[in-house]
Amino acid sequence: MTKRILVLSIVIFSSIFAFSQKEDEEVKFVEQTFSGTRVVIGQAVDIAPNGEMHLDIQHHFGPLNSGFYDFFGFDQAATRIGIHYSFNDWLAIGVGRTTIEKVWDGSLKVRVLRQKTSGGMPVSLTYFTSMGINSLEWADNTRTDYFSNRLTYTHQLILARNFGDRFSMQIVPSLVHRNLVEKTIDDNDVYTLGGAVSIKLSETIDINAEYHYILSQQTAKDFNNSLSLGIDINTAGHVFQFFLTNSQGITEQHFIPATSGKWTNGDIHIGFNIVRSFTIKQQDYF
Amino acid sequence: MIKYRLIIIVAVMAFGLNACYYDNVEYLYPSGGDCDTSNVTYTNDVLPIINSKCTGCHSGTAPSGNVKLETYNDIKASGENGGLLGTIRFDNGWSPMPKGGIKLQDCDILKIEVWQNQGYPNN
Repeated sequence: MTKRILVLSIVIFSSIFAFSQKEDEEVKFVEQTFSGTRVVIGQAVDIAPNGEMHLDIQHHFGPLNSGFYDFFGFDQAATRIGIHYSFNDWLAIGVGRTTIEKVWDGSLKVRVLRQKTSGGMPVSLTYFTSMGINSLEWADNTRTDYFSNRLTYTHQLILARNFGDRFSMQIVPSLVHRNLVEKTIDDNDVYTLGGAVSIKLSETIDINAEYHYILSQQTAKDFNNSLSLGIDINTAGHVFQFFLTNSQGITEQHFIPATSGKWTNGDIHIGFNIVRSFTIKQQDYF
Repeated sequence: MIKYRLIIIVAVMAFGLNACYYDNVEYLYPSGGDCDTSNVTYTNDVLPIINSKCTGCHSGTAPSGNVKLETYNDIKASGENGGLLGTIRFDNGWSPMPKGGIKLQDCDILKIEVWQNQGYPNN
């Protein structure tokens, strides 16, 4: 096992250092398909710029229909705090911790194709994967507990295109694999097809929508599709995202296969993301 | 360039799939067939369910949603205001629990229902 990790890291790092020569100067890429690395609650096609570290602070409050006693969900907030760092133009690595199931997550985002502004590649493609570790204490002493039971994996292929200055969209097929589920009929593998659109209203303000349609039969019966509507406010160094969603879960493993809220019942959660970017590695302009 | 990204993707996926299991609680921890609710007690049935599914968040000095489920009195109080069953049955008007996770097994929910109908015996 350790040998395999060693080999893998050698493969990753040698390819980073050996092939980081400059791209052709004349090629112009679409810089930002969406304004952040998340569209609303899910991953966007973009990764953080080379050498930047992003600090993500994410909040989803409880449902609005919980009433005044819980101040419309204020008392039941779920939170995630995480960082991710881009080593170069196409690889970002992140870690985070969320309150739900005390999950630690590690993620990898790899840019495969990049849309060019004129001619050439018409779309951008990014592969996103994450692993979540449920760190709740084992409570049932009568059971033999396996570490693998704590793990959940997410794989996403994000295909996006920017149309002119104002409009972007993306299609996101996702697979969430849970090593342990509750019942025999539950799906260990949950397949979904997601989509997101973004409309730029001005230099600083976007409106966004995101939807994940559950394809796996049993999960579709037990849970609802995730729908989120949001507004982004961009300032230098910060992105503020405010949104309404029927998912209280923040990480992919929670909101893609396990959204229990329904918009029509008023299970709507107010949420926000605050992203602060730090330049860690100075760009070499000369 | 693209070739090396693909190598990484394939390596990560291969590594990830290697650690994949397809387990479920019913198969891994069989409870002995049918759901037996003829002799439900607080200590043997209700408390283990609460401990394994709820107290991870609903305990300590700042329990989630201000709902504490540590002691008999906490659990009884939650049962009396309807929250205990409302949340785990995903009833309308209650925030479904476990939050972001999968619904409890039907048998576990049934045991808590039986215990509630018996008037919360502390046995």
